[in-house]
Amino acid sequence: MRAFLYDRPTAVGEAVAAVAADPQAAFLAGGTTQVDLMKDGVWTPDRLVDITRLPLRGILVESQQLKVGALTTMEQLAAEPVVEQRLTFVREALLLGASVQLRNMATIGGNLLQRTRCRYFRDPTVSACNRRSPDSGCAAVDNVARMHAVLGVDERCIALHASDVAVPLIAVEASVLVDGPSGQRRIPLTEFWVRADEGPSIENVLGHGDLITEIDIPLLPQGWRSGYLKVRDRASYEFALTSAAVALQMDGDMIGDIRIALGGVGSVPWRAREAEEMLRGTHVDPVRFEQAGRAVMASAFTVPGTAFKVDLAVRTLSRQLLTMTEASR
Amino acid sequence: MTATKPDLGTWVGKGIDRVDGPHKVTGSAPYSSDIALPGMLHAVVVTSTIPAGTVTKIDTSALLTLPGVRAVFTHENFPRLNAPPPVLFGEAPVAPMQDGRITFHGQEIAVVVADTPQEATEAARLIEVTYAAEPPLLDPAGGRLETLALSPDTSRGDTEAGWAAADVRVGATYTTPENTNNPLGLMGCVAAWDGDHLEIHDSTQGTNALRTTLAVMFGVPESGVRVHVPYLGGGFGAGLNQWPYKLLAAGAARELGRPVKLMLTRPQMFKLVGHRPSSEHQVRIGAARDGTLTMIEHRATCLSSIDFPAVGLLTSGTPHLYQCPNVATVERTVRLNRRYPTSMRAPGEAEGNWAIETAMDELAHELGMDPLELRLHNLATELDPATGKPWSSNAVIECCRVGAELFGWSRRDPRPSSMREGDLLIGWGMATAGFFAYMPMSQARVTVYADGTAAVRSAATDIGTGTYTIITQLTADLLGLHPQQVDFQLGDSDLPASAHSGGSGLASSLSNAVIDAVSHLQGALLDLAAEDSPLHGLGPDDVVCRDGALCRRDDLSVRVPIADLLAGQSLVEASGDGRLRPPDAAAAGMVHAGAYGARFVEVAIDPMIGRLRVRRVVSVTDGGRILNQKLARSQILGATVGGIGQALFEDTLTDPGTGRVANGTFGDYLVAVNADVPEIEAVFVGEPDRYTPSGTKGIGEIGLVGIAAAIGNAVFHATGRRLRDLPMTIDQLMM
Repeated sequence: MRAFLYDRPTAVGEAVAAVAADPQAAFLAGGTTQVDLMKDGVWTPDRLVDITRLPLRGILVESQQLKVGALTTMEQLAAEPVVEQRLTFVREALLLGASVQLRNMATIGGNLLQRTRCRYFRDPTVSACNRRSPDSGCAAVDNVARMHAVLGVDERCIALHASDVAVPLIAVEASVLVDGPSGQRRIPLTEFWVRADEGPSIENVLGHGDLITEIDIPLLPQGWRSGYLKVRDRASYEFALTSAAVALQMDGDMIGDIRIALGGVGSVPWRAREAEEMLRGTHVDPVRFEQAGRAVMASAFTVPGTAFKVDLAVRTLSRQLLTMTEASR
Repeated sequence: MTATKPDLGTWVGKGIDRVDGPHKVTGSAPYSSDIALPGMLHAVVVTSTIPAGTVTKIDTSALLTLPGVRAVFTHENFPRLNAPPPVLFGEAPVAPMQDGRITFHGQEIAVVVADTPQEATEAARLIEVTYAAEPPLLDPAGGRLETLALSPDTSRGDTEAGWAAADVRVGATYTTPENTNNPLGLMGCVAAWDGDHLEIHDSTQGTNALRTTLAVMFGVPESGVRVHVPYLGGGFGAGLNQWPYKLLAAGAARELGRPVKLMLTRPQMFKLVGHRPSSEHQVRIGAARDGTLTMIEHRATCLSSIDFPAVGLLTSGTPHLYQCPNVATVERTVRLNRRYPTSMRAPGEAEGNWAIETAMDELAHELGMDPLELRLHNLATELDPATGKPWSSNAVIECCRVGAELFGWSRRDPRPSSMREGDLLIGWGMATAGFFAYMPMSQARVTVYADGTAAVRSAATDIGTGTYTIITQLTADLLGLHPQQVDFQLGDSDLPASAHSGGSGLASSLSNAVIDAVSHLQGALLDLAAEDSPLHGLGPDDVVCRDGALCRRDDLSVRVPIADLLAGQSLVEASGDGRLRPPDAAAAGMVHAGAYGARFVEVAIDPMIGRLRVRRVVSVTDGGRILNQKLARSQILGATVGGIGQALFEDTLTDPGTGRVANGTFGDYLVAVNADVPEIEAVFVGEPDRYTPSGTKGIGEIGLVGIAAAIGNAVFHATGRRLRDLPMTIDQLMM
């Protein structure tokens, strides 16, 4: 077997230093992505620094936000009562995002860093993968694409960011705290991921040795409601074809304010600002819902297998908006 | 048939728990993956990354320096094998690694053997192969059409005249994708040689076919080859063939003089143990205004690999289900640079039924006739319409009527899109189903002992369906014992030879072999009776075994303890050997009928986002005599889940330019999960079949047949949209 070194430090500084000192080292948390990648032979670190003993677990509830330790599991975050009350769509996305077995292993920090499910990326016998190997091409574009992205992609890479919970998190403008070789910094999630069409081999702005220690999630103001709709081929245990995270505040029968993000469509979790702007301060109108969705999807890059996702994403957003505004129609 | 009608009824039919259940739930049941032998090495298969051409070079020298690596076999140093022998429904496709020729992406080209599976896996990953690639044949349009041995063209009447005479006509093309069998148990084997003797622990569905194949291909006496498969983690047909991995493990073990274990990985299960090939069906059906069928034409094609044809059977059910004077079936295959196909649960029938039963629904709609009424009007229940001879049994009408009643079919509004719940469109669909009768040869030996217990022995396999349990129940009734007094030993090719678990044939085959063996056992016991015995002079059918005694059949109080019979001749046991003795069908004047069914399904569709949920299923099956209600119901439930998967999810995708499997993991190839499966009502109707003494029909596959068509017909009823290509996915269902 392929040998690797394994460390299990107990302090954040120690962990960061261990990875920073070795270009072939990587952090390991719940392992629900990374162990698969190692088994598939597409990721071959020489040193794993297991961070599960670091003091980064737990949720601190403040008046305006949650401070979530990066090692908090998906299940723990979903079970937090404030999440159910004030961040309903975060809870729904977590529960729809994975089986309970996975939710008990997977950490919230790791979820944000999950790698694409693209089978061409995950099969080392496929040589053409710009994400794995810069300038080698993209096998997915010419072959079987269904679970692939249509936004933030081009012919160089159509890899999807498949996280569910990242979709509502980007809608509420959560941010991450990062500890790294050059100290601590805060990165808004809106600036965290790098679109495939801006560089297929770079997935996010973290540098080697950077460690997410905390995710800060603003609570939705009182009077807001939120929901997450996930559309997928089977009823459970499957990634989204398309999803819509919507939070809104009604002002009579008008949409007072609104936040929208889409999943299953982007190389990064996709904030739908065009749609928000088209709908903010307007009456509930199914035609306008569809127009808002079309505006978001206008820049889609599709291949034969993903072409249907443009329409499906528009419909998914419309369905979720209709569901959430039903009382006002 | 020599045996008289057996006295069944105390245990047969009862839904007793699996006799092997405790072994399975406690983990003590040994599967091939559990086998570890002293000195055993581990082998990993390396597969090709091109679909056509030759291997020009595999540099193994670097691999041999890696830790733990003992050997690397390629076509250059793998032993030469004899050609595969023909065996029933499961021959070896090829002798593997005899030359460098490559006929599909994912073909076995090397085997790495090491001390541990991890070392072998890592070495296999580092192997460097050089190819001389050739243009692959991957487009069916570029291939040559061939006939299939099991699917000859059939024709009766004049279909063109029937078409011309029809008042209402439907014609369309239906397709099914490639499906992968995907038993949960990974397949693999442990092979160990002692001179010319070979023992192999394998996940085969048939011990004797593997024994014959190994003996012939390695050129050793069949008497010295022994196959063990006491437990099998499923198969759905993937365990029928003598796949290259078995031959590679046996060859490596022989060369190295040590036991070799070779387990496939899940992605390899998509490439190396067969699949249900994709198919296309052109169907035309004509009918008179009253719904009477005037013609059926079914032209089907499926894909095959270069070296190994598909099973076919796509049109096998079409001539038999409906009375119709003019029927023609034509079936062809195209050989391409694709993986070896095989049987997958309800091979051919599952695909052909999708086409025919969808077309029947289209016809019902065109006629303005209830789809159930159209079936009842045309089903061939008394005579097989292909031969004109009576069925040995046929309760398909009862399936339809009972199913309709349980489902509440009479409350169906026939207009498409007429049944709604809020945003949801509700649809009710139905389909009828048949599955061919298949009953390969089996033998069994029944032995009784002085302590009153009994053993049954046969080289059969229990694929997980319950063979252990049903034969135990049957033998208990035949010998008048409690099931706990009966020990059924199977899964060992040294036992009396048996057919495979396949074609829904084993339960009928083996149960009749056991009935025959008990008859011979009774004869053997009578031979032991002294001249002054009250049983002296009776024939084998004049006596029965009850509670450890041999009794007069017509007066059970006349009895002699078996222990006394044995002791009188200084014996400790007595045995009877039996085999399936199929009646001469022509003499019997009847046609051996398979199982029948009717499926009723409700779907709910959100047309905006294309979301389909199957909300309930009523599945009624004519399975002849049911040997164990609980296990039989489990067969139907599992097959229904498989049918839902076939209808909505399962689709093995390949890269168009290479034939590489594009979704060969359980994360990417979708099967139905619990959340996709609604309440399923599974009931049995009909009578014991009169073709054999056991009265059974195979029920392992019938439960899958008709589910996809019933779902598709429900989709049409819900939406007015006719879907003809499986699987029915969201992109087809957005309205």
